[in-house]
Amino acid sequence: MRRGLVAAFRELDAICDAIEALKKQKYDFTVYTPTPRHEIEHAVAPPMSPVRRYTLIGGLLGLTFGYWIAVWTSEYWPLVVGGKAIASWIPYTIIGFEMMVLVGALSTVAAMFIHSGIPKITATIGFDPRFSHGDYGIFVEAPPERLKAAEDTLRAHGAVDVRGES
Amino acid sequence: MASFVEPLRPNIASADVALPGVRDYEQVDDEIIATLKPSAGWFGALGVSILLFLVGAAAWIYQIYWGLGNAGYAPPVMWGVYIITFVFWVGIGHAGTLISAILFLFRAGFRTTIYRCAEAMTVFAVMTAGLFPIIHIGRPWKFFWLIPYPNWRMIWPNFKSPLVWDVFAISTYLTVSATFLYVGLIPDIAVLRDRETNPMRKQILAVLSLGWRNSEPEWRHFMKMYLFLAAFSTPLVLSVHSVVSFDFAMALTPGWHATIFAPYFVAGAIFSGVGMVFTIIIPIRRFFSLRHYVTINHLDAAAKLCLFTSLIVGCAYLIEFWVAWYSGVAVEQEFFWNRVFGQWWWSAWIMLICNMVLPLSLFSQQLRRNPTWLFILSIFINIGMWFERFVIIVPSLSHEFEPWQWGHYAPSWVDVSILIGSFGWFFMWFLLFIKQLPVIAISEVKEIVPPKLRTHAAPHGVDVSGHHPPYGVATPGEFD
Repeated sequence: MRRGLVAAFRELDAICDAIEALKKQKYDFTVYTPTPRHEIEHAVAPPMSPVRRYTLIGGLLGLTFGYWIAVWTSEYWPLVVGGKAIASWIPYTIIGFEMMVLVGALSTVAAMFIHSGIPKITATIGFDPRFSHGDYGIFVEAPPERLKAAEDTLRAHGAVDVRGES
Repeated sequence: MASFVEPLRPNIASADVALPGVRDYEQVDDEIIATLKPSAGWFGALGVSILLFLVGAAAWIYQIYWGLGNAGYAPPVMWGVYIITFVFWVGIGHAGTLISAILFLFRAGFRTTIYRCAEAMTVFAVMTAGLFPIIHIGRPWKFFWLIPYPNWRMIWPNFKSPLVWDVFAISTYLTVSATFLYVGLIPDIAVLRDRETNPMRKQILAVLSLGWRNSEPEWRHFMKMYLFLAAFSTPLVLSVHSVVSFDFAMALTPGWHATIFAPYFVAGAIFSGVGMVFTIIIPIRRFFSLRHYVTINHLDAAAKLCLFTSLIVGCAYLIEFWVAWYSGVAVEQEFFWNRVFGQWWWSAWIMLICNMVLPLSLFSQQLRRNPTWLFILSIFINIGMWFERFVIIVPSLSHEFEPWQWGHYAPSWVDVSILIGSFGWFFMWFLLFIKQLPVIAISEVKEIVPPKLRTHAAPHGVDVSGHHPPYGVATPGEFD
């Protein structure tokens, strides 16, 4: 079972300071923010999102499928239409392009879902509805003996509310 | 040396935005959630929309029962109101993607408060457009033949046909724009979920928000996804109306067989869509008391976009005439003369005045900052852009190469009823949307609002006030 502390902050600079302090003390924590802020991103310094790889792979797969389906069906039952080559790559670029966008876009969304862990069944552990309103938040996960020190750190850096969570 | 003259009003409509009337994140939540409460006016508008939709639905049922002959088709004009209206609604959709995706990539801040509305407009407009090929084929129960799959002898659709390209383009566009709208809504649905007091609604919103919690990893992946969806949507939106234009440009028909068609259609689509955005957003900002969100500066900036696209469209109209003259082809020259001074002169002049002449008023800053004028102009643009498609389709089909082919076209009451019904269908969905989900993107507006700080020092070397100017005295005329 996850165990930890949920802290709410009113100010952006307060939560940034708290993040820096928790990082120095090597705590595991999750940050919440009502809207994405570069200041928080800089403080957390997370690795780059891997979503872009799914976009590239999805786009290439879609492009290949679009060209392939048009060429394969033309070759399967060859009929000369409008004096064009049986497999005419120029008009098939439209099919390839549309499939690239479709598969690439859906792969990108799927990547966001996979890496963000959504859909989530429970949204309550380590979360407070204030974090979608006006407050910033931190959920610190730690063994029981380190929770007191974490609470002191959070309060020292401006947490307006700290509660235990398990 | 020329002396500096103080402008009449500070021209501060730019990519940089500020919302001086919005203090903090809580205010954003409270005011935008307050717009979800139904009002008598909303019920009235919804009732009118449903009534119009039922008129169209009844006419369609009549047409299905008695046959396609009840539409105004008369050889040689076998494309009429349904195809005109199809192109019209696809075009309307384009501004939504332009505002949500292309302006996002260009970091044009004024999009923030209007993009949700425009994006929803896109989805409902493409949904409406998608009905028209089905209505047009006369036997709608055969519509699945449009879907690319083989028959029992393994003959597939002809991938060299513009009509098959259309199916791919429109279905991709509808899927991607609906996905873009929904994923953009997820953080806002989470806000609604956390503020909701009704347990049943809270449960529904919890499911729709997919358990979104505003955590930093969620935002990180979300922002990357949003960037790439915008990057995909940008060429998509340009391709969709290009593909629609190929339905015409691939034929040898006079007035259609032109290489200018793809950019001409795209510019026209964006122009018509911006017009529809004004038609929708100006009443919303007034009746939902959102004038401090969708400020005059935002309307001013959108009006500049409208003016720019109008100039491109006007230029395309004139180039068409020039190309007809320069081609030296008598049929082409005769056709374009007939378009403006012959059989269809009235429709061409409605098009030219509404799309080319009236938008020139937007060179005036005072008119750009006048919501009443923008609303009136948007109605003219909607009319003008419907007639643009009329002018493209009907005069070309009724006036082809041989005089014995020439004919006439008049829409029947069934055509007109289904056209009216399409507006009812579109506004019915839109009105239902704006009372269930936020019409202004809560999370993105919060990005503009300056965050609360303990100190005025910038943490971590980042200027927390971003690029916003100081929030002091409100700009004159800002909330009119």
